[in-house]
Amino acid sequence: MDDERAGAVFGALADPMRRRLLTTLSEHPATATELATKLPITRQAVAKHLSSLSDAGLLERQRAGRDVRYHVTPAPLSNAVSWMAEVGGQWDDRLARLASTFGDQDRA
Amino acid sequence: MTDLIERELALPAPAADVWRAITDPGWLTGWLADEVELELRPGGDARFLIGDEVRNGWVEEVSAPSENLDRGTGCLAFWWALDDEPASRVELILTPISERETHLRVVETRPLEILDLVGVPLRGHGSTRYGPALVAA
Repeated sequence: MDDERAGAVFGALADPMRRRLLTTLSEHPATATELATKLPITRQAVAKHLSSLSDAGLLERQRAGRDVRYHVTPAPLSNAVSWMAEVGGQWDDRLARLASTFGDQDRA
Repeated sequence: MTDLIERELALPAPAADVWRAITDPGWLTGWLADEVELELRPGGDARFLIGDEVRNGWVEEVSAPSENLDRGTGCLAFWWALDDEPASRVELILTPISERETHLRVVETRPLEILDLVGVPLRGHGSTRYGPALVAA
């Protein structure tokens, strides 16, 4: 993976909602409409996140009738990507708990 | 490519307190894992219970702020792994911002993944000391 590509991948993964989308899609491919029903954001917001994940090469589009179904790009990239999404999410949760033990609820 | 996660945050506490938060098993159970056993010396054993998952590992580096009086930085590095997954390395680095604020940087990497890709068996190592041997190799 070249640096530019890696930069796009890390940029796409910097957002917690995009990591959540990626984790959801790694379990089961879905359309933007299906994802919007599962997540607390609008279909438009889902579509925008899917587009940046696709631009980073993390997702592939597949036509499903009038809709487009998204699935996570196959291994070996997806192995590293799903690890980063999962482990990154775990650290976000842990560090929010750590910050709250110091009485800083704003960071949680 | 080494898989890498990096997070940074500022905590409203002196470095000595943050050091306790990242090394004291009692404090660690408040945010890192449900049960923590951590032998604070290089090569020491580490064991973390998170939900119903057990992560076994070992300590690579322990450097308390009280040992680095000039800059007051601290570093804890350890390895951990679920039984059937490749081990990863966690590094927690703290740097004082002021007397009441400390910067914490967390880096988790999975540098051994490349060995996994070329067929070196890493899975199923359990609590064995996979880390030092592979790092030295």
